[in-house]
Amino acid sequence: MTRFLFVVPPLVGHINPLVGVVGELARRGHRVAWAGHEGQLAALVGQDATVFDCAVPSAELKRPPELTGPAAFRFLWEEVFLPLAEVMAPGVEAAIGAFEPDVVVTDQHALAGALVAERHGIPYVTSASTSAEVVDPLAGMPKVAAWLSGLLDELRARHGDPDATGDPRFSPHGILAFTGPELVGDAAERHPGLCLVGPSIAPRPSASDFPYDRLDPGRRTVLVTLGTANADAGARFLAVAADALAGLGDRVFGIVVDPGGVLTDPPPGVLVRSHVPQLELLARGVDAVVCHGGHNTVCESLWHGVPLVLAPIRDDQPLVAGQVVAAGAGVRVRFGRVDAARLTAAIEAVLDPDGGHRAAADAVGRSFRALGGARAAADLLTAVATAPRPVSTPA
Amino acid sequence: MTTEITAEISPPAADADAVLADLTGMLLTLLEEYGLDAAEIGRETTFHGDLELESIDLVTLSGALRERYGDRVNFADFIADLELDEIIELTIGQLVDHVVASLRATERS
Repeated sequence: MTRFLFVVPPLVGHINPLVGVVGELARRGHRVAWAGHEGQLAALVGQDATVFDCAVPSAELKRPPELTGPAAFRFLWEEVFLPLAEVMAPGVEAAIGAFEPDVVVTDQHALAGALVAERHGIPYVTSASTSAEVVDPLAGMPKVAAWLSGLLDELRARHGDPDATGDPRFSPHGILAFTGPELVGDAAERHPGLCLVGPSIAPRPSASDFPYDRLDPGRRTVLVTLGTANADAGARFLAVAADALAGLGDRVFGIVVDPGGVLTDPPPGVLVRSHVPQLELLARGVDAVVCHGGHNTVCESLWHGVPLVLAPIRDDQPLVAGQVVAAGAGVRVRFGRVDAARLTAAIEAVLDPDGGHRAAADAVGRSFRALGGARAAADLLTAVATAPRPVSTPA
Repeated sequence: MTTEITAEISPPAADADAVLADLTGMLLTLLEEYGLDAAEIGRETTFHGDLELESIDLVTLSGALRERYGDRVNFADFIADLELDEIIELTIGQLVDHVVASLRATERS
């Protein structure tokens, strides 16, 4: 029996892939606990889980919708991830003291987990919840890379082992990435210890009142979603998408996820819901997903062999979208500029069997499923727990 | 793809106005779906705030610059030399100046 502590940021997309891993470890008889935002974790991981509360700046990531590109990148590090590490560190410290984990599993962007673990000499594995970080996105911008390493060094001086070296987002003990080689290519060559396990698809609590009787076997089903973190930025896009779906109405049954209630006057025939049971819908048969390129939505769609129309907004989304397009499993449109005609053309392109997108998505899905997901992740984590430890000096 | 956004063939000139016209042509093609007018692109236009260019667009633009100017202009080196704040604020005028300086340097050599 091994004790694993999972350290996570208050971001749904970063927590969901780990839920399945935790379940698998528990089935194998290991003890597992979480460190993160207690209220949010209770909803995502279940009431029975052991949770150590960490202070977080806020329960949600809030950014102005117009903040995109490199400005969003600067904001994300300066205003979100680094302050998050500062305020989470005492909670992680307390969790390690109380739970005495053998291994810490920490999200790449919950840096307190990596740094506090290394200071205690506890082996830690970093969890890459997106396929964007592992492909070295700053390779062409050495001055930006140096800026970020400088920030991480300062953080390590305060919370980590000052003698440690290397990027705390990429643990020397192992890196879990919930993606596959079709999307990230030879990333494993750049990061020794990188383990591509494919998506971790675990059943999760969902609203069960979805009107499944509205699904129409005579029409293709197209799901439009911008994920959990973009309700404020998506009003224009969702309106365009609803118009595009309405225009395809004789052939397509369109579902638009609108958590912010921004579609006040949706066109008739298009189903608008504040939430949908996404995994169950995908399993029942969706023919195309239109999304922002959020890593979990992309991987869950591809897992089910569903091709994508991608309208990346910011952060890792443009990179993830680029990876899907390169794999042949999707078409990209411009989030801020696309109109109904162009979006209609993109949807028709991925629905067209002759376009090859469905076949490419199927191929990626088969490869994903072969990687093992949560089981492969649990294998890696138990191997790290029993591996000979590097000699280290606990604080 | 890149051949589509190459400007009309004429000898590359190390003249700022000519380079701005070249770049404007490349951007109008790259951003065809924006329905932009050439008059909307000038030296002060920013890559990110105004044009919302993404990294994939910069790759395409880099290819178009290579088609137009050959090895005399290295866009990757230009980007590699920028700090994050400079990338955020990057303007068309800065790229024009880089192209002009690169062309003049090769003319002299």
